[in-house]
Amino acid sequence: MRRFAIGDRVTVRDATTLFHHRTQSYTRGRTGVVVDHRPEWLIPEDEAWQREDGRVEPFYVVRFNQIDLWPDYTGLELDTLESEFAEGWLVPAEGGRR
Amino acid sequence: MSTTHDHDHAPIEAAGEISEFDVLETAIRGLAIEKGLFSPEDHRRFMEWAQRIGPHGGSRLVARAWLDPGFKQRLLADGTETSKEIGIDWLDPTGTGTPSDFTYFYVLENTPKVHNLIVCTLCSCYPRPVLGQAPEWYKTPHYRRRAVRWPREVLAEFGLHLAADVEVRVHDSNQKSRFMVMPMRPEGTEGWTEDQLAAIVTRDTMIGVALPRADWTADRSPVATSR
Amino acid sequence: MHSPSGLDTLQRRVLGLAPQPADRLDSPYWISNESYQALRHVLHDVGGQPDASVPYLDKDEADWELRTYVLCEVLAWRGVWNSEVRRRAENDLGATLYFGLPYYGRWITAAAKTLVDKGLISVSELAARIDAVRARREAGS
Repeated sequence: MRRFAIGDRVTVRDATTLFHHRTQSYTRGRTGVVVDHRPEWLIPEDEAWQREDGRVEPFYVVRFNQIDLWPDYTGLELDTLESEFAEGWLVPAEGGRR
Repeated sequence: MSTTHDHDHAPIEAAGEISEFDVLETAIRGLAIEKGLFSPEDHRRFMEWAQRIGPHGGSRLVARAWLDPGFKQRLLADGTETSKEIGIDWLDPTGTGTPSDFTYFYVLENTPKVHNLIVCTLCSCYPRPVLGQAPEWYKTPHYRRRAVRWPREVLAEFGLHLAADVEVRVHDSNQKSRFMVMPMRPEGTEGWTEDQLAAIVTRDTMIGVALPRADWTADRSPVATSR
Repeated sequence: MHSPSGLDTLQRRVLGLAPQPADRLDSPYWISNESYQALRHVLHDVGGQPDASVPYLDKDEADWELRTYVLCEVLAWRGVWNSEVRRRAENDLGATLYFGLPYYGRWITAAAKTLVDKGLISVSELAARIDAVRARREAGS
């Protein structure tokens, strides 16, 4: 059972990372909306060490407003950015579902 | 964007030198085969596939989508499966997909309200089965740093300026999904065949740094020169 | 004075004359948590870092680059490593090599290091083979 539905507002956790990850630092602590589901697959933190017994998690496409990602975004307010996250990297945004 | 070569760029490789990278590749390949890590047949098969791929695959997908609404719908719903209709199987050449490209392919449709731009800030993920190898600039830390944060500036540097009511949507390809942009069909192409349309769908229009034009069939980046 | 492109050339040379930092890193006795955090930053995570504009140049693919790509993919196909191991191995090379090597130079160096780290090839046999291949090439040209 997936934790997040399309339309849910989610925040990317600001967990410590070292040696390898695929959760960009510019997304940490940022809030966006789930816009699509991706299949489940081995998380990159385990795949990078060939841990075939590693964690398999559902992945999500999260869309952010660019003005929420950058302190001084020079583009337009309607601009967005999408990227993909393992379920373990996401928590429900403060204020719950939209 | 100027099409002249930038002669102030540092030389890429000194002419006439045997590249140490070349030597290293040959050394590793020989040892790997001797130790049975893979077979010469494996190498040959993958090399053949690598030499077959190119932007022509993606161009065909876009051109057909422009002409056939049913195909377009299938392509947007399931890029991996629909690629087979033009002879591209994302499971090739290993039977389970390529190690770097995987099998989760999504086509992003440009509309009058949304312009898509693709980058992989963490490395250089690119939909090789439908586009071939990425352009060199796509793989640079430079593009990876700037495309996510200054997308309109980057597009302007490619000569592309979008209206204020067009959302620029950047896709940072950071996991196993692979993306390609389906640009909008330009004016002046009424009555064209699929082949004619495919010729104007260049690699750069499928990354999102250019828009197709009825009068242009080439990517416009100048090529870095070696001394 | 300067033509537009001449001025551009001059400006880039000026940018390149960065002064040497007074506090160069050479195994300090102590660093702050903030400094450690910066050092712990995973190298490939460059999205959003400030950077000046440079021309977007394309490049013809050299034969060794195509062979490097195929070699790395075939090693992954046959289970020696996978593409995420390769990406981590590229980060593990450290900043000087990550940013000092060309793109496929990173790939081939990461492949060599991984094969040695896994004990599949010894570093001395690899070095010997490199010397032998180079000698053959030089004799042949």
